[in-house]
Parts: sequence; C-alpha cells; structure tokens
Amino acid sequence: MTYEHINLTILFYVLILFAVAFGAASHRKHGKSIVSNPHIYSLTLAIYCTSWTYYGSVGRAATTGLDFLTIYLGPTLISFTWWFLLRKIILISKEHNIVSIADFIASRYGKSTYLGVIVTIFAVLGIVPYIALQLKAINHTFNLIGNWPDASVNAATFIKFGGVDTAFIVAVFLALFCILFAAMRLDSTEHHEGLIAVIALESIIKLIAFLAIGIFVTYGLFDGFSDIFTKFTNTFPDKQNLLRLSPTCSSGPRWFSMTFMSMMAVMFLPRQFHAMVIENTNHNHVRTAMWAFPAYLFLINLFVLPIAVGGLLTFNGDTSLADYYVLSLPLSANQQALAVLVFIGGFSAAAGMVMLESITSATMILNNLVMPIILRFNLKMTDMSGILLNIKRLAIIGVIFLGYFYYHILGESAALINIGLISFMAATQFAPALLAGLYWEKANQRGAAIGLILGFILWCYTLLIPSFVNAGWLPTGILTEGPFAIAWLKPTALFYLDNLDIWSHSLFWTLFFNIGAFLTISITTKQSKQEQEQAHRFVQVSTWDKNKNQLSRLSKAPSIMEFVDLMSKFIGEKEAHTAIAEYLGDRTVDEKGSLSEYEIPNLKRFTEKTLAASVGAASARIIIENYLSARGSKMEDIFNIFGTVSLSRNASREQLSVLYEAANAVSSGADLDDIFDSILELLYRQFRFDLCVLRFYDEQENKLIVRNFKGIDTDFLSRADREINDETCIGKAYINNKIQLANDSDCVDNPVSVAIVQREGIKSFAHAPVTIEGQPIGVLSSYSHYSKGIYTDEFIELYKNLAAQIGIAWRNANQIAKLIEASEQEKELRIAESIQLGLLPDKMPDISGLDIAGICIPAKQVGGDYYDFIVQSPDIDIVIADVSGHNVGAALLMAEARTFIQARARLLVSPTVVVDSLNRFLYKDLTKAELFITLFYLKYDHDKKLMTYTNAGHNHPLVYHSSTKSFEELDTEGLILGIKQEVSFEERHGILETGDILIMYTDGIIEATNNKGELFGLERLKNAIIESIDNDSQTIIDNTLIIARMFQGQRHFVDDVTMIVVKINQ
Amino acid sequence: MSEKSKSQQRQMWILFFILGVIMLNFPFIQIFNRPETIFGIPVFILYILCGWPFSIVVIYLFSRTIIEDNNKQSTGDNNDL
Repeated sequence: MTYEHINLTILFYVLILFAVAFGAASHRKHGKSIVSNPHIYSLTLAIYCTSWTYYGSVGRAATTGLDFLTIYLGPTLISFTWWFLLRKIILISKEHNIVSIADFIASRYGKSTYLGVIVTIFAVLGIVPYIALQLKAINHTFNLIGNWPDASVNAATFIKFGGVDTAFIVAVFLALFCILFAAMRLDSTEHHEGLIAVIALESIIKLIAFLAIGIFVTYGLFDGFSDIFTKFTNTFPDKQNLLRLSPTCSSGPRWFSMTFMSMMAVMFLPRQFHAMVIENTNHNHVRTAMWAFPAYLFLINLFVLPIAVGGLLTFNGDTSLADYYVLSLPLSANQQALAVLVFIGGFSAAAGMVMLESITSATMILNNLVMPIILRFNLKMTDMSGILLNIKRLAIIGVIFLGYFYYHILGESAALINIGLISFMAATQFAPALLAGLYWEKANQRGAAIGLILGFILWCYTLLIPSFVNAGWLPTGILTEGPFAIAWLKPTALFYLDNLDIWSHSLFWTLFFNIGAFLTISITTKQSKQEQEQAHRFVQVSTWDKNKNQLSRLSKAPSIMEFVDLMSKFIGEKEAHTAIAEYLGDRTVDEKGSLSEYEIPNLKRFTEKTLAASVGAASARIIIENYLSARGSKMEDIFNIFGTVSLSRNASREQLSVLYEAANAVSSGADLDDIFDSILELLYRQFRFDLCVLRFYDEQENKLIVRNFKGIDTDFLSRADREINDETCIGKAYINNKIQLANDSDCVDNPVSVAIVQREGIKSFAHAPVTIEGQPIGVLSSYSHYSKGIYTDEFIELYKNLAAQIGIAWRNANQIAKLIEASEQEKELRIAESIQLGLLPDKMPDISGLDIAGICIPAKQVGGDYYDFIVQSPDIDIVIADVSGHNVGAALLMAEARTFIQARARLLVSPTVVVDSLNRFLYKDLTKAELFITLFYLKYDHDKKLMTYTNAGHNHPLVYHSSTKSFEELDTEGLILGIKQEVSFEERHGILETGDILIMYTDGIIEATNNKGELFGLERLKNAIIESIDNDSQTIIDNTLIIARMFQGQRHFVDDVTMIVVKINQ
Repeated sequence: MSEKSKSQQRQMWILFFILGVIMLNFPFIQIFNRPETIFGIPVFILYILCGWPFSIVVIYLFSRTIIEDNNKQSTGDNNDL
C-alpha cells in the first residue's frame, strides 16, 4: 500500500468526519440535538481509549503482562459511584457554568484566580506528553502501513513530505479541525455538538476496528481463545508470567496503584472531565453511561491478550514492535483492507483525544492564564470577543504543537504506556481538592493550592525526572545515587522508600504531601466569605436555597443595557443579546425598563455566569468586580433588618414579634405620646435606625409638625417640620397617601430632598403615611445615617403596619377623649339637673281662691329656667327666671338666686327692691361666669286683688281679663340681671279680678319652631290659652303644651319650657 | 422512592463499589494467580473475563432501579448526592 492510498483514505475519512460534525452542528441550530442522548454520551466518554489503549495495551500485555487491565478496571469500579459523584459534579457545573476542571476547582475555592493558574499549568504540563504520544502513534502507524514490510527499519523515522513530516501535517490538520468545531465563536455554553458527534463516531470506529482485528487474530489466525493460549503456553513456557501476576512483590501494589490512578484519571483528566461534565446535556445520561462505558471498555479489551499473545507467536517473541502488533498482524497476513481499518481506528483514537485535550487546554489557558493577565493590566478594549477568540485558537495550536515538539525531542525514548501513566498521575493530583471540595465545606483555597503545588512538585520529581533521565537528558546518577549523591532524595526511592514500583512510589508520595497539606491547612486556616459561599453552594448543590441570593443589593447598579454591553465586550453582541433575552424572559421589568432593586444582584450573577462560560469563573468574577468598582458600585450585604435570624420564614416570626410589641403598646391604654414613643423606640432599637420621627398634620399651621421623635438632635428638630407639598418626600407621602422610600439616598432626585439628605447625612430613609380610615393624618419616618438598602419588601410591610398601628392608637385616643368628655358632661348634666329640680317647688301653693299651676320641662340639656312662689298671706310672690347658660355653673347661680330670694324676699317690701338687691347680689358672680338672668317678679295681694311687679328683661307675662276677654302684657323698664350693677327697676301695679288669669312663661314655648322655621309666637300662645280658658290652670298648661308640641311637630322642646298659670277664682 | 429505600439503595451502591474494589484488586486476585488453565485459558484471565462483565451487569441491574429525576432545578430530589 502506498502513501497516496493512505492519504486518500484518510482524506475520505476526514471528509466523513466533517460531514458528521456539520450535520450535528446544524441540527443543533434547529433546536434538535442528535448528540443529546445517553448512548452518545457513553460513547464520548470512550475518549478515554486513546491510541494508548488501541496500540499500547497490546504492547504492554506482550511485554509486562496483565497490569494494562487495571487502566480499564479502575473506570469500571469508579462508575459504581457515578450516580452520586459524577451527577453532583454535573449539577454543580451546570449551576455555575463551569467550563473546565481548572474552572471547577477555582470556582469551588472562592473563584480563586491563582488556583485556576495552578490547575491549568499542571493540567497542560500533564497532558503535553500524552498529546505527544498520540502524534507518535499516528506517525508510527502511518510509516508502518506505508512502508510495510520495511517498517521495522523506518517506523521511528520522520517521513518527510516536501520538507515536513507526517506528525507535523497531522498536528496542523488536527489544530484546524479543533478551531473549526470548537473555536469558531465564543460559546456561552461551551458545548461543541459537532466535535462531540465526531468523537462519538470515532469511538464507534475504533471499537469496530479493534473488534475486527481481535476476531481476525483469534479466530482467523488462530482457533479461538483456548487455541491461542495453549499454543502460547507450549511455545513460550518462559513467558507464562505474562498471563499471571508477576511473582515479584511489587506487582501487587502496582496493580492497586494503577487501578486507583485510572479511577481518578477517568474522571479528572481534563478531556474526561470535559466529555463527562461540560458536554453533558442531561445529568440523567449518567445512568446509562455508568454501565455502557465500562461495557465499552470491556469489549475493547476483550481481544487485547489474544492479539498480544498472537503477536508474540507470529513474530516469534519479537517485542520490538509490540506496541504495533495490532497493525502489523493484519499487514503480515496481507490483509490490506483490515490493516487500513485498524489504521483508521487508531487514527480516530489519537485524533479524538488530541482534539478534545487541546480544546480543553486552550479553554483553561484562555480563562485561567490569559484572562487574568488581560484583566490585571486592565487593557481597555471596546470589543474583546474577537481577540479572545483568536487567543483561544492560538492556545489550541500552541498545545498541539507543544505535544509535537515534545514528541520530536523526547518522544522516542519512552514506551507508550509510561507516558500515559505520567498523565494519569497528574490527573490524580486534582482528586483531593476536587472530591473533598464536593463533600467537605471546610476544605479551603489555601489548603487546595498548597496541596496541589506539593503534589505537582512531587509528581515532577518522582515521575518526570526519572523519565528525563531515561531520555538521556539528565545523568543517570540522579536515579542510582540521588541528586548530589544524597541517597534519600533518589527520585524513585524518596526517603529510602525503595521497595515500591515507580507508580506506587510516586502515587504514595504525591498524595501523601498533597492530601497532608490540603487537610492540615484546611483545618487550621479559615475561609474567606466568598469561599464559604462557594463551598456551601458546591457541597449543598441540591438543597442550596436560591432565595438566599437576595440578601444583597448593588449600589449604583448598572442598567440592563450596561450589563449587556459588558457581556458583548467579551462574548460578542449577538451572544450577549441572546443570553439577556433568555434571562429576562419571565422577569418583570418596571416602567423605567429596569429590574427591581433585588433583581439586579441576580442579573449581576447571571452576567458573571454567562461570562464564566466564556472566560472562566475566576476571570468573570474579576471582570465584574473591576467593572463595578470602576462605576463606584459595589455589592453590599443587605443590612439584616431582622437581626441575626435569617430572612424568609424566620423573618416573619421576628416581624410578628415586633408587631406584637407595637400592638401591645397601642392597646396598653397609655397616654398617646407614650404609645408613640414606645413605637418609635421599638423601631429605633430593633432596626438600629438613627432617627425615627412622627409628624402630624397641624391645621392651624398647615404643616406637618413633629410630635414624637427618637434619636434626633434638637438642632434637627428646629427645621424638621414640613410643608404640605410634593417638594419633600414627606409631603409627597402625606399628599399621595403612599409610602416613600429611598434605599440609597444617592438616588433621590428632587432638589429639596437632596438638600435635606445631604445636610443631615442621610443614607436611606422611608416615610409611611399614618392614616385613620384611609385618610392621612401624619407621617412616620425613619432614617439611617450609615446603612443603605435597609428597606426590603418584608421590612416595608412591617413598617406600613407600624404606621397603621400609630393611626389606630391615634383614633383610639381620640375616641377615649370623646368618651370621657361625654361621660363628664353627663355627670355634670346630672348634677345640674338635680340642682335645678331641687330649685323648683315640689308642690303648688294652696291658697283659697287661687288656682295655681306651674311646669318646667327641661330640654335635652340642663335647663336654666326657674320659677318659685313665696307665700306671705295674703300676699303671694311669684318669680320666673331664665339663666342664659345651660350648665352646672348656671344651675349654681340659679340656686344662689333662689337662696337669696327665699331668704330675703320676705323681708323686702316691693318687687323692685327684691330685684334690685338680687342684681347687686349676683352681679359679680354673673359677670365672672359671663352669665345673665332674665327675671320677672310679681307680688299679688289676694285681698286687694292688687299685683305689683317688676321685670328684669324677661318675656312679658300675660293677663287674661275675663271682663274684656283680652290679654294684657305686663312689662316694666329694667335691665336683665348681671349687666350693670346700678339699674333702676320700674315697678308697676295692676288689678287681677276674679276670673282673670295670669300666665307667666319663658322663651322656650314661644320660640318653639316648626319645620317651616316659623316661631310658635305670642299670638298662638294666646289662642291656645283661650281654647281652654274655662278649664283649671293645670288643664290650660297641658292644652297649651299639646298645641305647642303639635305646632313644632315633635314632642321634645329644644329649649326649656316653663309656664305658670294663676287663675283668680274668687 | 421513599427516603428509606433511597438511603438503602445508596448504601448498596457503596457496598458493591467496595466489593468491586476488593475483588478486582490485589491481594484478592492473588487467589486466581495460578498456573492452571480451564478450557486452555489461564484461571486468572478467566476470572477477569468473568468478574469484569459480572460487575458491569451488577451496575446495569442497579441502574435500572434508579428513578431518573426530570426536575431540571434538581432540588429536593437529589439530597442523596
């Protein structure tokens, strides 16, 4: 077979791969993913089987025996744990948009930049030999198949095509392929459907090819397993140890060590981590992969021993080409087609590994090495995405060519299997930090970093140095006598530990220092806050409460568009817009087109996560932090208003207790000011406000006047009253009857408020209207001088509640005042009433020839009316009076007047003297009480039928003269009592004949008003009297009152009604 | 699946993992490290050729008992992680 044939075949195969990749990529664009299924996922994990498996297993089986099996038994065993372990890693990675193993470890330990650097350097150095190994395999097999049967001569040489060798061409081609499928754009998810489809296809090809050659050797060249082993036993009785564990004591530990290393490597080699975790589309795929992947490993290893043994038999025990028995067996049997298939299978195994490994390395280099440098030097570029993409492409090329040069310089010296195991050991070093990080929250950054560095140093010392010695780079003396002849520093027998094989020895010392340092430092040092949060999120990935996010806010937060611009800079405009559209999908955006204050931190987190997908967690954190700090905004922990108890469910308990205390204060029945003070005190003390002020509306000043305050200085008090207008937030709260708050006083935009805020050094404040039945009566304000973002939604609810409690207290207090007032008035009225009743005569005087009747009907309020008789036969004095007031004072004055009259009237000769004396006597008291009395005094001499009377401004009494059937009004000159001290009262006389009727009354009756507003009046009174003129006095009164009541249309008189009727019978 | 059977299942996984590690490892395999052959195949190789697929079958059978959680938020249901 010529090179041209092989080239054409490879070209054809590559074209198929391209077609598959494009197909998968375009399917994805249409929303369908052909790679998102558990079987494809399992096949991509088979990236584990590289050309090292493909060729190297047979080589190792033919030379050192069965321990190649450990490389595949390890993954089978670890897959028992995948449902818990791998799935957890996948969930965490999805949660945090992790893009590589370096990213994962950095992210776990507080998004640490330097931990990312350590892992990246370690990973890249660890896999470069591995890539070299793949290039070597392709190069060798290419030469082998092209030069057969002279392969033994030329296999190790570099075939040149126009000055360049095969490995170089292969490297260029692989780099190109990687860039096409993994670095065409910066993906915000780091999923490469095309590449994954190709890897899955390659896994199928390599399995088919290997099974084909296995079956050909076992059943074509030989007659089944029994035949091949029997022939081998017979031909090479001295090589029986190849089919058993070697009897040397180190074979046991080596088996154990290699199993352990492969367990770790299958998960933590960067490409394995990528295929398993990053490219995983559904964590449930793990369920299938955990048996399908081991099954794949079993199948691909099934014929390794027959091929190895068959190779030994065919080539008469020549092991110089043992690594390539797989290819040389069909070639020697002249099976060209099978040989090409095997070659293609081997090519697939190598190409897949190189591509995926270089892409994951490039991602790590970009995110964990380049980005921190760019960010460190704070390079200002408008659009970084193009540059980042090119850096990624360069990194891919760089990694592949590092492998190429390694192979060129060093590659020929070491057997395939050894190079692979060096990489495995490197991957194993990630295990402690990663695994402990999943389950142990205390595992910290410093511990992980020191552990990794020590592991890395020991790895170099115990594995790389010996391999450099073997390559002839270093003197062999280092191995045999130790560096500088220090025996205990021999790289393969460190600290005299010389009875272990090189792998067990290295595994022991690397992990001893790695885990030792990691545990010791983690236990003895503390985590930063950021680290704690990340640790918690990783360990508690399933139960981690997303609500806890909302405990922080962003001061001077950027707008959505600013976040988008920031993202565009790193991932390109289109990607940024797609991402934000997805994010905003189900979120509410307010009228200003921005998110609520508590949504902004989530947006920040989302932006960081999106950036993390392109540039890694550590870099994303730095980008966001730099960006925000440049704006002067920073994440602030929300001042936990509810004390030490965390928010959410527990908070409501706190909330309730505060409300309970406030309600207690309100219902305590204490003085209103005491209640207000205790509520303000509660606010002040519980929530550590700097000022709490309660203002009430004052009608006279038309201002909101400070009534109660807490934590305020008197200086502030002098300018604390507020006008009712919307220039101030307080005025606004009052007018709009709506809470006004500012979590960040820097955001206040009206000029008056800004002036106040600046003058008083207020950082945040809230004003809640205090209302009664929905009407504002005042404003409850609280201020903080130090904290921003106090006012969470929960707290605002509580705050409104407190304002409502104040309203209730106010209303209660008002009602109580009214009640007291009412009851006091009631009491007073009762006193007045009893005084008044006591003043009135309890029975009419019984004088023959006189029919006397009198009545006094107090109105609703206590009456000020008074009438009395003083009998001094044959005289009878009749007095009727009306005091202007209707209270106890008036009643007392009336009592005073009565006492005077009762005591003195008998001694005084005439009504004028009585009234004049009374006026003098009461003048001072009446003036002081601002009261006055109208009074009519009449003395009637029954024998002479002569009446003498004087009037002090009272209603004119009526006399009905039966002779003329007409009414006479009695009146004299005189002023009402209590106006002037010196009053001259006129005295008049008149005759009352038999049959005449004297009617005396107060204004209550004639001022009775009907619903038309007409007064009852004197005429109606006269008519009413005439109607019952022939009846006795009492009947006259009764009838008159009936008529008056009918007139006003109601039973109750508005004013007191007093009436005296005296009928002269004889 | 109840919490109890879930936790029991988890313990079974760990048990089988440990059994696997022991049985496919040194020194257990030393038992089969003998020169005898069965059907011409060395005992040790036969042990691996049977023990390995057996462990895969165990995983397969076990994986059938897992109820996938389709809750993408994956809260609550993954407390066993």
